[in-house]
Amino acid sequence: MTTSLCGYPGDRDEALVTYLYDDGGADAGERALFDAHVESCARCRDDLDALRGVRTQLARWSPPEPKFGMAAPQSAIRSPQSVWWREVPAWAQVAAALLFVGISAGIANLDVRYDQGGLSVRTGWWRSPARDARPGGQGSLNVVQGPAGVAQGSPMTRGSAVAPGTASSASAPWRADLAALERQLRTEFRSTQTSAAASAQPQPARTIGDAEVIRRVRALLDESEKRQQSELALRVAEVMREVNAQRQADLVKIDRTLGTVQNNLGVEVLKNRQQLNQMNLLYRASQRQ
Amino acid sequence: MTWTDEELVARSIGGDSDSFNELVLRWERPIYALAYRTIGREEDARDVCQETFLRAFRALPGFRGQAKFSSWLYRIALNLCRDWVRRERRTPVVQPPEDVDLMELAAAAEPSESIEDLVARKDLARVVERAMALLPEEQRTAIVLKEYHGLTFQEIAELVGCPLSTVKTRLYQGLTVLRRELAKNNKATL
Repeated sequence: MTTSLCGYPGDRDEALVTYLYDDGGADAGERALFDAHVESCARCRDDLDALRGVRTQLARWSPPEPKFGMAAPQSAIRSPQSVWWREVPAWAQVAAALLFVGISAGIANLDVRYDQGGLSVRTGWWRSPARDARPGGQGSLNVVQGPAGVAQGSPMTRGSAVAPGTASSASAPWRADLAALERQLRTEFRSTQTSAAASAQPQPARTIGDAEVIRRVRALLDESEKRQQSELALRVAEVMREVNAQRQADLVKIDRTLGTVQNNLGVEVLKNRQQLNQMNLLYRASQRQ
Repeated sequence: MTWTDEELVARSIGGDSDSFNELVLRWERPIYALAYRTIGREEDARDVCQETFLRAFRALPGFRGQAKFSSWLYRIALNLCRDWVRRERRTPVVQPPEDVDLMELAAAAEPSESIEDLVARKDLARVVERAMALLPEEQRTAIVLKEYHGLTFQEIAELVGCPLSTVKTRLYQGLTVLRRELAKNNKATL
């Protein structure tokens, strides 16, 4: 380790970091200045080498592989254009349409009759008992029955099929409303049928999709199991390594302790021998006396 | 055709959910890596990552493109990491499952690299990880953004909201601590 002094005139730490990373943000003049300084400063050279070494070691650290397939939740991401009624099933829309027609008919006091005079449709907004008594009166629409006993076409749109006596009602405002309602209903029925047909088509595709999902889930499970096994194996290896290291340390410790005990024992033996020698000397001296 | 982040953001704001998914796929790994290196726990890093994208999605209509999308995302992630660090700091615990013969399992495992190599590699990474954990949060963040995400000094300064010189000082101080800690470890393993 060098202890030489650095004589760089500017902020040395900042200059070192700027030089180390060289991300293009440094002023060319400053860089040239520090370049020249590094040539002559052993301390800065050492520091730069050491910091480069740190960067090399930092590169070894990578996070564990993420175990997610993150994607924006569809429930959270809904385009602003999507509206609730698009998610209502087709049958429910049809039922709603029929209900709507029924309620409309109720509100309009619609009276549909089929008798010898043909199909008779009446609204009762302004009807009086007198008008009620007169078939084909104001506010009514009559359709002549066809030869096969089936009403020919729609009672609301076929002007030619309107029975005599209803000509004045053809220009009534409700007639246009009813015609518009019929057109709307026809469009909705058609679109319902189309959507029903379309929704019936992708059934096999959904089955395939389910199979694919199951296959993917299984693959994910397998992968997860393998990963867990690998992690366990790794952990076991680490534990074994730690146990081995601990065993080595224990052996060294025991060795040292044994050495100490042996030393102590040797010292004790030596002391005993000395004491015996002394006792022998004393004994001999006493014998002589 | 590859869209830029900003184009994908614009499309996402317009209601195209696929575009936001594309942004998630593009940035989930960097954000996860940033979170992991900042808080050091895999599961929490994953949570932070998910929360980052959730917050980004919610705030997307307010994103006016003053900064790069990635910088904006990094800022959200860093704020969440900061919250996490303030809230709790725990040490990871590994618990082997019960009723599993670990030795048998170790023998049966067939990893692509040998267990010894794997352990050695993990050890090295762990040494760096431990050294990084010793750093103050500001220094660690600066090093992570510079080393692993390649941000410029200026970008880091804007992201963490401090002067350029402070970023450089934090980097130098952090690297110096790491140098000392890694040297200690190198001596210990010799």
